[in-house]
Amino acid sequence: MITQEFQFHAPSTISDAVALLAANAEDGKALAGGMSLVPAMNLGIARPTAVVSLNRVEELDYVREDGDRIRIGAMTRHARVASEQPIAEAFPLLARAASAIGDVQVRNRGTIGGSIAYADPAADYLPVLLALGASFRAVSAAGERTIDSREFFLGVMATALEPGELLVEIELPRPPAGVGTSYLRLARLEGSFPLANAAAVVDGGPARVAVGGTTATPFLLELDDPEALDAVESAARDAAVGAFPDLAATADYRRAMAGVYARRAVEAALAERRGG
Amino acid sequence: MRMPISVTVNGSPLRLEIDTRQNLVGLLREQLGLTGTHVGCSTGNCGACTVLLDGVTVKSCSVLAADVDGREVATIESLSSGADDLHPIQQAFVANQGLQCGFCTPGMVLSVVKLLEENPEPTADEVRRAIAGNLCRCTGYQLIVQSVIEAAKLTREGAPAAA
Repeated sequence: MITQEFQFHAPSTISDAVALLAANAEDGKALAGGMSLVPAMNLGIARPTAVVSLNRVEELDYVREDGDRIRIGAMTRHARVASEQPIAEAFPLLARAASAIGDVQVRNRGTIGGSIAYADPAADYLPVLLALGASFRAVSAAGERTIDSREFFLGVMATALEPGELLVEIELPRPPAGVGTSYLRLARLEGSFPLANAAAVVDGGPARVAVGGTTATPFLLELDDPEALDAVESAARDAAVGAFPDLAATADYRRAMAGVYARRAVEAALAERRGG
Repeated sequence: MRMPISVTVNGSPLRLEIDTRQNLVGLLREQLGLTGTHVGCSTGNCGACTVLLDGVTVKSCSVLAADVDGREVATIESLSSGADDLHPIQQAFVANQGLQCGFCTPGMVLSVVKLLEENPEPTADEVRRAIAGNLCRCTGYQLIVQSVIEAAKLTREGAPAAA
């Protein structure tokens, strides 16, 4: 039993959800899959006075093809992101990231929107979304806006979402034909957060590689010459100058792995592009 | 805050009044007396509290009871009425000593139920991936994997009665 009393709300539409979040902007929390929030409430670390569950908002659970984009509803669960055909075809690296999260039970319940809004620095999705050039649609009682993924992650578990604002959709531009992509993660155990992860996208233009798990927010590098792998590695190591230490790895190790995983991700994406 | 919910548990439709601070495992164990579902960590790591929610496995410590309003829950109690009526997966765990202290077993068995529904002939690696969310503190994984392989065989052969 959670010790802190709270008001529980289970709206069934986005507009009801944002009205409830606006009314509880101070100490209210949006509850998606609950894979981070409910454990934190069980431990008494998170003590919201109101919980707005999104688990009845069916209009937030979808994968939609829309011309040159794919749109994913924020309440789409990881298991669906990992297995949905349009995602597997257009963004195999996103499917791979989703299937690496936690374990079967976590993927059955956890959601892509919840993971993004929670913004754990080592979340599997984050470098993938940066490398793919994702943007996020957010709705509040005041209206709606779209936030570029490069401007969304502000710090450890801190995002550009304002109090009362709800992430509703992930929008992904379809990459051109013949693109090479990859997602790699370094973790000691199945199901644990990666110590470093990296996603790369190589098409005709400048290549992109994003690295997570090492610094407070994932970072994105644009590479004019992705074939220059030594330069890729040292650029990523430089970008990870603020790498954080914890019980699993020192800052120096994380920084070194930021370089190594950026290099390997670009190498894998180049190989995929060459392989067709 | 108190709140009425309707939920189907192991096939029985129930109307309950719950405390919104209760998580699903607390509702099952404390309010309904279904103590087959265990509480290990309360942080979504160990998987001892695994149940089926609308037919998929979830960790019931990390689901609020209020969120199962209108849903269907199945616990380990849905598989068997007692020692003489074990589910083929449970029989295989017994026959292969796939349990030591038994604490993780209910969650482990439910994960295996879903695995075998989706993949009737899993490899040892596929078994390990499927039970990655169920930690065995006795670390008896080798015998658990063996139990699952045999459970798959029993299930494919049409699940004969208890050995």
